[in-house]
Amino acid sequence: MNSLTLGKYIPLDSIIHKMDPRSKIIGMLIIIVSIFFPSGWIGYGIIGLSVFVVVLLSKLNIKIIFNSMKPMMMMLLFLLFINTLVIKDGDLLLDVFGFTIYSEAIFQTLYITIRLFLMIMTTTTLTATTKPLDLTLGIEDLLKPFKRFGVPSHEIAMLISIALRFIPDLIEETQRIMKAQASRGVDLKEGTFKEKIMAILSLIVPLFVSALQRAEDLANAMEARGYSPGKPRTRYKVLKMKGSDYTLIVCSLILMVSMIVLSRMYA
Amino acid sequence: MPILFENVSHIYSEGTPFRYSALSNVNLDITEGKITAIVGETGSGKSTLVQHLNALLLPTSGKVTVLDRTIISGEKPKDLKGLRRNVGLVFQFPEYQLFEETILKDVEFGPKNFGFEDSEKKAKEALKMVGIEESLFEKSPLELSGGQKRRVAIAGILAMNPKVIVLDEPTAGLDPSGSKSMMNLFYDLNKKYNKTIIIVTHDMEQVFAYCDEVVVMSQGQIKLKTDVKSFFKDSSLCKSFGILAPHLIRLKDSLIEKGFKIDEEVDSIESLVKIVSRQVKK
Ligand SMILES: Nc1ncnc2c1ncn2[C@@H]1O[C@H](COP(=O)(O)OP(=O)(O)OP(=O)(O)O)[C@@H](O)[C@H]1O
Ligand SMILES: [Mg+2]
Repeated sequence: MNSLTLGKYIPLDSIIHKMDPRSKIIGMLIIIVSIFFPSGWIGYGIIGLSVFVVVLLSKLNIKIIFNSMKPMMMMLLFLLFINTLVIKDGDLLLDVFGFTIYSEAIFQTLYITIRLFLMIMTTTTLTATTKPLDLTLGIEDLLKPFKRFGVPSHEIAMLISIALRFIPDLIEETQRIMKAQASRGVDLKEGTFKEKIMAILSLIVPLFVSALQRAEDLANAMEARGYSPGKPRTRYKVLKMKGSDYTLIVCSLILMVSMIVLSRMYA
Repeated sequence: MPILFENVSHIYSEGTPFRYSALSNVNLDITEGKITAIVGETGSGKSTLVQHLNALLLPTSGKVTVLDRTIISGEKPKDLKGLRRNVGLVFQFPEYQLFEETILKDVEFGPKNFGFEDSEKKAKEALKMVGIEESLFEKSPLELSGGQKRRVAIAGILAMNPKVIVLDEPTAGLDPSGSKSMMNLFYDLNKKYNKTIIIVTHDMEQVFAYCDEVVVMSQGQIKLKTDVKSFFKDSSLCKSFGILAPHLIRLKDSLIEKGFKIDEEVDSIESLVKIVSRQVKK
């Protein structure tokens, strides 16, 4: 559980951490869109380099990015396996007893890996440098223009921030219940099938009971303090864009335009 | 064979920016067959310490010896089940760990996991010990009050008949008479069955009335380990740790301040009254 780096906020003191969450979200969206353009190796090189600069500026340890790639490893290996079976274009690289691997299969997998890596690098940088609550504030603000079309931006933001707020609690609770049941002889690794089912039940049931209890407590506490979803609310923290924020947005826009140009050239 | 902590440190989330050193260089021996209280302000590392006793937490560095088992940092301990069967740990707010359909089944869960033949008998005995009536045995644990849930959870550990019983704030949030009967139960288990009892508590009256030894923790370190009698000889030692001494000790101290001569050990209000009235009559 402690190795859970994906999407975790890492408190550091850097220019990226201090930026407005809105500009960071917009920047991330623009970069993700740019990744989707088939701009070739040069394009991906440029994107990679730009995101790398942002990571450097944010003082994050680059290891964190690689760690958050780890859960994808199995999926990518599986993809490589499927690709070698299906794609039969390009040069023949290997032929063992009729089992053939073509260069295009490797190429395609590498392509997807790089795209995925860039995307994870971008999103991890966003979540690692932005407090979950700031992130939801940013999302709420960005959704505001859509209120006219019936998008309940405030409710969505409240929902996300409550969900985010409960994640560490639930992780802690899970660990606590796991320990409590381990004291009663539960062993998740060993035992017969029936014992394993019981072991999992002994975790899930208390977890659900306490999650529901927490939800009810929170709802009561919010109501007791006069919260009502539809009402207009003022904010304790007012978001403000600075020079660095505009720089980030402009830079990512330039990046996207160059990717569009590059992909045209390839096509 | 005592329970031994040798140079034990525990660091949470080692290797991340969230790293937190909860125990640093703890050396402690806990005598078997006694009731030991562990006290200290919140966040001082009491719960972290006791979770090392049945290897729920492993030391980041150092060595823990419990019963005939030694747990050394960096080594993967074997046969944890054997250890956990003999060291029963009741968590802070254990009522959240209940999950079975009926109370009886929930209490049987532990003994069954450890392969007891007579788990039902053990469960019924344990439930009686904690004062849960037979009429409740088939009810769902979720229908009980908070205090009753706590008793059932404690019964769930007692049913395993462990040699060492570790309780993390077992009476927090119970009503006064409930906590008293709970403490009496632990006292009896110690006296009748010679169980080693380790209790984490904030209640000095309990420490004074029921415990043999006391361990004071602060900021992840052991500040003092002594027997309860010398700890509460007068209130000055408690005061030096920012702990409020039991009523009786404070009363005794103020009587001494007012000119009474009390040299004897005082363990109840009656004995104090006897001493004082003798001097008043003079
Ligand atoms: N799973 C964990 N991860 C990180 N830090 C933790 C974890 N559990 C406890 N801590 C920290 O370790 C310190 C000691 O915690 P511990 O629970 O041992 O205190 P305690 O003495 O039992 O306090 P209390 O009287 O409030 O129960 C605390 O500062 C706590 O924040
Ligand atoms: Mg505690």
